[in-house]
Amino acid sequence: MATFELYRRSTIGMCLTDTLDEMVQNGTLTPELAIQVLVQFDKSMTEALETQVKSKVSIKGHLHTYRFCDNVWTFILQDALFKSEECQENVGRVKIVACDSKLLTQ
Amino acid sequence: MAEQGGLEGSQPVDLSKHPSGLVPTLQNIVSTVNLDCKLDLKNIALHARNAEFNPKRFAAVIMRIREPKTTALIFASGKMVCTGAKSEEQSKVAARKYARIVSKLGFPVKFQDFKIQNIVGSCDVKFPVRLEGLAYSHSAFSNYEPELFPGLIYRMKQPKVVLLIFVSGKIVITGAKIRDETYAAFENIYPVLTEFRKVQKCIKTLIADDDDDIHLIRMGGFNNFVERFEGSLYSKRYYKLNLICSRVCFMKCLLSG
Repeated sequence: MATFELYRRSTIGMCLTDTLDEMVQNGTLTPELAIQVLVQFDKSMTEALETQVKSKVSIKGHLHTYRFCDNVWTFILQDALFKSEECQENVGRVKIVACDSKLLTQ
Repeated sequence: MAEQGGLEGSQPVDLSKHPSGLVPTLQNIVSTVNLDCKLDLKNIALHARNAEFNPKRFAAVIMRIREPKTTALIFASGKMVCTGAKSEEQSKVAARKYARIVSKLGFPVKFQDFKIQNIVGSCDVKFPVRLEGLAYSHSAFSNYEPELFPGLIYRMKQPKVVLLIFVSGKIVITGAKIRDETYAAFENIYPVLTEFRKVQKCIKTLIADDDDDIHLIRMGGFNNFVERFEGSLYSKRYYKLNLICSRVCFMKCLLSG
């Protein structure tokens, strides 16, 4: 299954990368194994978001900039309102990067 | 620009140029320009803001700016199409802005052969039009197929523009390269539209469709006729809906009948 490396830049992905780097450096892990772990992380994130996350969030704001290139949408919103069932939060500036998950199944 | 406000009477309309007293509003200007250098579209899409590039769908970068609110299609050949401006000057200003954006990304752009390719204007004559009659008497220029499209397509020869004429009296004029062609086309068509102005005579067709009814109205007056009428041929609700326009028509009926 093909995956996006999109989630490696998330907090959890960055933490995992740092830990793997450290383990490779002190010799507890081979670089090959570390890469394998990252690939598994990509797969697990995609799968978890698809099957285990049920909550929905709506994002509403003023579109400052958009871009569509290489099948990736990038949006920069100003004064965005994130709304979920439990809470809502205002964010002054937010960047959204979105890929088409249909491309993975092809 | 001042002329466009003339519709609401806030600005005086130049009656020598617009004898009808109505000035079509420009809605869209399409222009082209040659930047005269080969462009790397992916590079542009990646670095410019508000750009879309999907080569599988369309071989150009689609870029938008907010002021003047327009959209540009930028091709790898260096040719560019700018759409959406409301005046010729704004279209040129927008095209220059796009050229500047591309040049800032490092391409040696020029600004050659800027040309307005199309002007779209619209107007409301504020009376309904009998499209069938118009299509019949101007059959050489008209194409009216209400099952395909509700408007009459009028291909004017001089100036060479296309007009879409709707029953509501709303007109769209497209195909002009200069705004005076749009204005001339409207002044040409306006007398034709007044000739085929629709007279509302719903009462004759809807209610008083035989001589007995007309006779009854004459004898008993409007209210008696209504009393006799209610609950008989047409439902009350339907009648109420038509009451206001009917009253006017009754009068016409009585006068002409």
